[in-house]
Amino acid sequence: MINRKLAKILSKRYIILASLLLIAALGLVLLPSYQKNENTTAENLLAKVINPERYITSDVLADNIITNDPSIILVDVREVDEYTAYTLPNAINIPLGDILNEDYQGYLDQDRYNIILFSNENFKADQAWLLLNRLGYSNLHVLNGGINGWYHTILNPPKPTEDMPNEAYELYNFRRAAGLFFGVGIKAKEKKVVKKAVKKVVPKPKKKKRKPEGGC
Amino acid sequence: MGPLIPNGILSYEWNIIIAVLIGLAFGFILEASGFSSSRKLAGVFYGYDFAVLKVFFTAALVSVIGLYYMDYLGWINISMLYVHPTYLWAAIVGGAIMGIGFVAGGFCPGTSICAVAIGKLDAWVYVLGIMIGVLVFSEAFGTFENIYNDTNLGNITLVDSLGLPASWIILTVTVIALIAFFISDVVRKRVKKVFY
Repeated sequence: MINRKLAKILSKRYIILASLLLIAALGLVLLPSYQKNENTTAENLLAKVINPERYITSDVLADNIITNDPSIILVDVREVDEYTAYTLPNAINIPLGDILNEDYQGYLDQDRYNIILFSNENFKADQAWLLLNRLGYSNLHVLNGGINGWYHTILNPPKPTEDMPNEAYELYNFRRAAGLFFGVGIKAKEKKVVKKAVKKVVPKPKKKKRKPEGGC
Repeated sequence: MGPLIPNGILSYEWNIIIAVLIGLAFGFILEASGFSSSRKLAGVFYGYDFAVLKVFFTAALVSVIGLYYMDYLGWINISMLYVHPTYLWAAIVGGAIMGIGFVAGGFCPGTSICAVAIGKLDAWVYVLGIMIGVLVFSEAFGTFENIYNDTNLGNITLVDSLGLPASWIILTVTVIALIAFFISDVVRKRVKKVFY
């Protein structure tokens, strides 16, 4: 037996199929556009975030600067006035607000140098790090602790107490030496022990005047 | 998620297995829909059968629309798909030769292999012709080398060369295809029925 309803529908099958195609294509046009993260996937970004190599300690950085490591670019992401007040040697200033500016992409989008971002703390530098990673740039690092950490480790290191291991003393000595290299010097004033030459009073036995004695 | 193999969901060795499976299915569908008959294929040019036009146009549309929906849903990353590089003049010359061969022989390379498999004599001759053509091209490669390598436009698509969003191009091609289907139906009704 012929299903008449079905036959009626099937007689228009070409029209139906054609309109299906057209609707599907129209749907593609009408789909709301959304921003795709073509450069980094969520998994890659997470792997980079939890990678400890993301941070560089101030000791390693100090060593790199002192040995004139040619492979690093220091990027100060603080504002211009902070940059002019104090910054690390040979750092360039790219304020966080301008980090996406196309003029600076030549510095940031490359794979030859290690870029070290720093700010007063980690906060702004981490933001810059995240933005640049989302763009798919490579070799990005953050100075752990920023300028404040730099001050507290390199420029003004805490003196190890006597119950600390020998390494702490070595680290302290390295930091003191590095601090001297960066020109600030250790603030610890050397106590000038002015040794006053103590007058030695050699008691001279006074010659007693002898009373004239009678001669023989 | 996709493409499966570059993203490491399937290992690289699956490439050839999947290719064989798809090839088997493709050949089976070609034969089942009668594409191993040179008369059916040549019908496009004489106006009595437009199955080839409809099938291949529809296949292209379905796959491109499906891929872009999957891309939108995040199932596949369309920028990771391989785009064959465009050698402009080589493609024009090669396309012309292929077209002449298609009209004259009534096969395209894929369907000719299909027809060989079911034992058609004209397909044997056709495949022999392909072999001779390959031999001539290889031996005289020095002569053809310039046109073979020149005008490399890179891995471009219509999106790159027209600068339009992909969805509008897809819609345009869909409309063109539907108009072509409609016109081909009209033409087929006017052409005298051919028994084949």
